[in-house]
Amino acid sequence: MRGAAATGREQSCDLLVIGAGPAGLAAAATAAGHGLRTLVLDERPAPGGQVYKQPGPGFRILDPARIGRDYLRGTELARRARESGAELRAGTEVVALRGTDAVVVESGTSYPVNARRLLIAAGAHDRPVAFPGWTLPGVVTAGGAQALVKASRVVPGNRVAFAGSGPLALAFPAQLRHYGVNVVLVLESGPRPGPAALAGIARAAAGNGELLRDAAGYRWQLARYRVPLRYRRIIVAAEGDGRVEEIVHAAVDAAWRVVPGTQQRVAVDTICLGYGFVPADELLRLAGCAFGYDEDLGGTIVQRDDWTRTSVPGVLAAGDVAGVRGALSAADQGCLAGLRAAADLGALTETQAEQLARPVRARLARKERFRAALAPLYAVGPGIYELAAPATVICRCEEVTRAELDAAIASTGDVNVIKSYTRAGMGLCQGRNCRRQVAALVAASTGMSIADVPLPTPRPPARPVALAALADDSIRDEGLFIRD
Amino acid sequence: MSAHPALLLPAAKDLAAALPASTDVAVIGGGLAGCALAYYLARAGVDVVVVERGELNREASGTNAGSFHFQIAIHQLTGSDGDADAARLHEDVRLHADAADVWSGLEDELSADLGVHVTGGLMVAETDDELRTLIRKQRIERDAGLETELLTGRELRDFAPYLAGDLTGAVYCGREGHANPLLAAPAFAARAIEAGALIRTHAPVLDVEEASGPGGTRFRLRTGAGDITAGRVVNAAGAWAPEVAGLSGLSLPVYSDGLHVNVTEPRERILTPMVQHIGRRLTLKQAANGTFIIGGGWPARPERPPARYSVRWDSAAGNTAVAVRVVPALRDVRVMHMWTGVIAFTDDLLPVVGEYRGLPGYYLCLASTGFTLGPIIARTLAEHLAGRSGGRLPAGYAPDRVPALTRG
Repeated sequence: MRGAAATGREQSCDLLVIGAGPAGLAAAATAAGHGLRTLVLDERPAPGGQVYKQPGPGFRILDPARIGRDYLRGTELARRARESGAELRAGTEVVALRGTDAVVVESGTSYPVNARRLLIAAGAHDRPVAFPGWTLPGVVTAGGAQALVKASRVVPGNRVAFAGSGPLALAFPAQLRHYGVNVVLVLESGPRPGPAALAGIARAAAGNGELLRDAAGYRWQLARYRVPLRYRRIIVAAEGDGRVEEIVHAAVDAAWRVVPGTQQRVAVDTICLGYGFVPADELLRLAGCAFGYDEDLGGTIVQRDDWTRTSVPGVLAAGDVAGVRGALSAADQGCLAGLRAAADLGALTETQAEQLARPVRARLARKERFRAALAPLYAVGPGIYELAAPATVICRCEEVTRAELDAAIASTGDVNVIKSYTRAGMGLCQGRNCRRQVAALVAASTGMSIADVPLPTPRPPARPVALAALADDSIRDEGLFIRD
Repeated sequence: MSAHPALLLPAAKDLAAALPASTDVAVIGGGLAGCALAYYLARAGVDVVVVERGELNREASGTNAGSFHFQIAIHQLTGSDGDADAARLHEDVRLHADAADVWSGLEDELSADLGVHVTGGLMVAETDDELRTLIRKQRIERDAGLETELLTGRELRDFAPYLAGDLTGAVYCGREGHANPLLAAPAFAARAIEAGALIRTHAPVLDVEEASGPGGTRFRLRTGAGDITAGRVVNAAGAWAPEVAGLSGLSLPVYSDGLHVNVTEPRERILTPMVQHIGRRLTLKQAANGTFIIGGGWPARPERPPARYSVRWDSAAGNTAVAVRVVPALRDVRVMHMWTGVIAFTDDLLPVVGEYRGLPGYYLCLASTGFTLGPIIARTLAEHLAGRSGGRLPAGYAPDRVPALTRG
């Protein structure tokens, strides 16, 4: 793309991978291993993504064996990617896309990268949930707390309540406890797994032993530390003077709607929320990919074929960005994407690619059966989007309350018009935190399903970018609204 | 800060009301011009129905940057002939001074917070040639009664220390400023409905027929929400006015382009006036919430429907380059998002307002690049339609001046 200043950086490649998590690293290792000029970009200072997060610069690992399996997996994936010949550029942000070309911001300057194939593997972020008090200092997301603990070795809070859901949700409080965090209460909005559900999981679990062991291990760890674990309960409010001092939690039904009369109060100074993840889909939306909907995978989900191809020619999507399935599945999807790019660009024949993909697809199918068996247990209930009171801020960036959104929704059901009236979603986070909540309000008011509420128009840049990094004095003014 | 309620919007059920069988005035287009027309007509007791094909305020009216441009801009000057510019622009500049009055009283008139801020505006020059152009244009403005002031050297440095030190001069107009383009048209619509207007969204006009009757020509509009007959029709369809005119066999030379705008993260206030450039494309201001809005006429890329325009990265790079050249402190401010909008304009860049004599009863209300002028031309046309004596529109705005406007 014109308009991004030249900096002497490599400006073209065969495969451009955005995101150095499990999917991106596996794709890079595969593609570069088959001879593709592969460039991997990641906004973090080190590769590994969220799950396989590596310590930031300034931290040195003294004893890798003690730091955990995820760290070692991340190191291994990054090593494989590097040894395959792929180039990793950490600390880079992709701010705009057109087709398979990207504008990259790095060290205060921007440059274009022209790629023949583009893989978006940007991962996922915590599912934001708004309730009265959710914007108080002391409320952190599981991903945020995990990042703090893993990358910076900083422990949040003195008395921590965890609330969340999902097969691996208990990993967060167990991990926090492991690092010395005083977790005083764990709330799981899903049900206590009953015998029938466990039997179903066991049937689907063939080849997924590691996942099952993980889930059991987390529960065991919590029990060992005597952390109270309560099922079918959520946090409905946080209160405090200037920061979290107390929470109200309540029992919920299968739709995650509060059962009246079950409210209880607990004094805590930190709330850690882990209601699962949603795809970080802004680049997919900027690329113009078509979307479908699957609540269990995180809501709006990019449409793909069985080679990870999106509806936009040349653009692939792999890992949690294409539906939250976890790190192991992401690496396999990345492998498929790498094979696809290699076949597309002539480094592999179609037959070779098919052969190499077969075992990968078999593994993915096993994981998918396991996930499908677990999903109903932890399906996100609509009640989680109905907690905000009129004065609750829904859009933090622009400080828009539920009452203001309700006023706009009384005038129109069009999400873009609601955004224009209230500014909800126009701030720094570009709607990542309020989009689902606004869609839920529109759905509730119009009677339409949340799946049918359209996405607001995506706007570049995908990340804020300094004017100096953007500006290019050589661009000629073409003279708009002057006719020849 | 405005003391008026935060968000004045028409109710969804009103915008979905059934069309009546007939009305006096049918307005096509629910942008700023159409909504303001509905308001001023209903207040004057005229029976009015607005039909809008989509949602209100979604095109040029709601996608511009909300600036009040009272100074003559670069694209209005031919550059070759000062006297011709003066003659052509004289009435235009005078109407802009009246537009300033309308905007400064509009929040009280509508009892709504429209984000109106009169901040003043600077038009800067970078070269000696540009400074000469500034001096020439300031003379036209002064003769037309628009108060502006030429600042150079030390005077400019003291008045606007945030500007690059090597600019050659600037013209300051104290009346310039901005409003929130997202809220003005909806507020007009809400008050129009209160005053008795009917405004119907999702009602695309599919056909316009004329039928002669005892009371003269009547117009029959076939819309996606039913049929309606009207004594008079106002085409206020902005960039889509040529298509609407085509339904009546009129060929209307109105063009449209995609426009690029950047918005930054909020910062502490460093800049009060709007800043424009006489020689390069720049409109820059710091909004009440601290964000900088940077535009000025850089193009966006046309897309296939239903998309309109997408961001051109070269526009972002060129636009921000001019911005940091003029206000160097912006270098480390981050662009938060970019949006694209449509802009409609005519060959002479003047509005087209009034009755088309070739088709009695058919009116046009199109402000060329005209958030600034929307309310005043709507008000003036409404006075005319209501049979009241009111302000006069410049002769240069008359539809009949447009040589290419033909029927057949």
